[in-house]
Amino acid sequence: MASIVRAHGLTKRYPGVTALDAVDLDLPAGRVGLVGANGAGKTTLFRLLLGLSTPDAGSVEVCGISVADNPIGVRSLIGYMPEHDCLPLDQTAADVVSTFGELGGLPVRAARQRASEVLDLVGLDEARFRPVGGFSTGMRQRTKLAQAIVADPKLVLLDEPTAGLDPSGRQEMLALVDRLGSFGIAVVLATHLLDDVAQVCDHVVMLDGGRLVTDAPTDTLLHQTGTVTVDVGPNAVAQLAAALGARGLAVTTDDSGMLEVTVAGDTDLDTIRDVVADLGLPLHRLTNRLTSLDDVFVHRAPAP
Amino acid sequence: MSARAATGAVYDRGYRPYDGPRGGRRAATAALYRTSLRRAIGLRRPWRQKVAPAVLLAIAVIPAVVNVGVGYLTRNTPAEGFEFITYREYLGVSSALLLFVALVAPDIVCPDRRQRVLPLIFARPITGPDYALAKVGAIFTCVFSFSFLPQVVLYVGQMLVTKGGALAYLRHNTAVLWQVPVAAAILALFYAVLGIAVASLSGRRMVAGASMLGVTLVTSTISGILVRADGGRPGSGGHPAALLNVLALPLRIRDLVFLGHLHRDSPLSGVAGGGALAVGAYVAVVGGCIAVILSRYRSVEA
Repeated sequence: MASIVRAHGLTKRYPGVTALDAVDLDLPAGRVGLVGANGAGKTTLFRLLLGLSTPDAGSVEVCGISVADNPIGVRSLIGYMPEHDCLPLDQTAADVVSTFGELGGLPVRAARQRASEVLDLVGLDEARFRPVGGFSTGMRQRTKLAQAIVADPKLVLLDEPTAGLDPSGRQEMLALVDRLGSFGIAVVLATHLLDDVAQVCDHVVMLDGGRLVTDAPTDTLLHQTGTVTVDVGPNAVAQLAAALGARGLAVTTDDSGMLEVTVAGDTDLDTIRDVVADLGLPLHRLTNRLTSLDDVFVHRAPAP
Repeated sequence: MSARAATGAVYDRGYRPYDGPRGGRRAATAALYRTSLRRAIGLRRPWRQKVAPAVLLAIAVIPAVVNVGVGYLTRNTPAEGFEFITYREYLGVSSALLLFVALVAPDIVCPDRRQRVLPLIFARPITGPDYALAKVGAIFTCVFSFSFLPQVVLYVGQMLVTKGGALAYLRHNTAVLWQVPVAAAILALFYAVLGIAVASLSGRRMVAGASMLGVTLVTSTISGILVRADGGRPGSGGHPAALLNVLALPLRIRDLVFLGHLHRDSPLSGVAGGGALAVGAYVAVVGGCIAVILSRYRSVEA
């Protein structure tokens, strides 16, 4: 897959703090999760990608264009959705989105037409003529996403798009982000919510304290651990644990009361199935346990 | 349910890539200018926002209409040819212009900063100077239009009611055809850069508007006190302290455009090189305001 962002030795320092420290990146087109705690350097990286800030060292390219040499050209290719409130509150959603379409270089008529289309896409077709000031948090986030994609960018930078959303709003926003990838728009999703990244991103970049922790495809990070989770209901946990232990399997109980059994192959899985059947227990769940991004982050991030 | 409805389907129109023409930095600046101009004159906004430009236009045009009306009513009387206002006097004397700029300049600048729209704007192919140009251009267009349009009404009206006929009036008043637009442009540039510079210093519209009025009020008061304290009187020698009156500066340049020299009633008229000093002060104020505007939008927080 072609690179959408390339950075080499990217460094940005502010008085008293190094926001980015010699970061090398090679991000593929697709959905990339940019993960890190607050202050990890995510927003600084966005500022550098947009050419709004100048690196102290290193270089960065977007779609093969050097940001230092042609920041205006790069901005023509990028849509940006900031984390904070950033919408003119007394304008309608249609006016806001079409204005930012025009600012992105679209002719007036095309901007209004595309504003209508993308507002429809993000689920605001009914509310497009209402002032943004009367919108809920979820509607404002959708409007921000609409203005980011109205000019048909090659790359969209999304800074905490699910911030402040309720669970259903969050799922809807993630579904929209997921769809952007299928539209051929590369996405860089900055968040501190690892679940969001695991759900929609093909590639993960982890930053911690301005340093690159991980830059790898999501699949390679979420590998199998050689452990299965067995759920037979809360009343039979001890009975099953004893029976599996008697067959020579290593068994532990996790925080939710389910058994985690270390398995070496299909024979061990057959053993688990047979033991459950012999005891006459209901088998609610038997799944491979995967590494979570939390595990990766905790294990790879340097200790404070 | 009809058979047609039963076979209907909901279509997800999805997302269509855009492959049409696309502008760059210049198009983005023009778009921001159009948006700011629309906002300034209240288009696509509640009726309350349309009051200020409508009132200003009415205040600006009424004297021209009255002057033309008087000319028409007195055309065959001994009072024929009397003009109670000249083109020079008519330009820039209305305090409604100042109030309009104090109201509208903050309205097109302050919300961008207060509502944190600036990072979103500067994430587009646009720079700080482009932003400043669009905002100053919007105010310039308003002030120029509201200064120039009444003059057009006055000129055309006078042509139509003059006893000698329209062509004769045109022959005798050709100089006005360049003097009015040039003087109106000088006035509009001054108000536009001053209004945007003051408004760029605050995120609150009320504060910015009051500051604009305060700047003009304080400078005119100080100038008046200094001129009078030193014995200067209009038409009796003049005093360089009159240059401190920011609001009157473009009027001095207007006089130079129309008369070729300062008007005899000007508090600068007796000062050696008063005209050059006025031009210098005008350039200094405009240059200073542009420097303030550019510095305010040089770096933007994303």
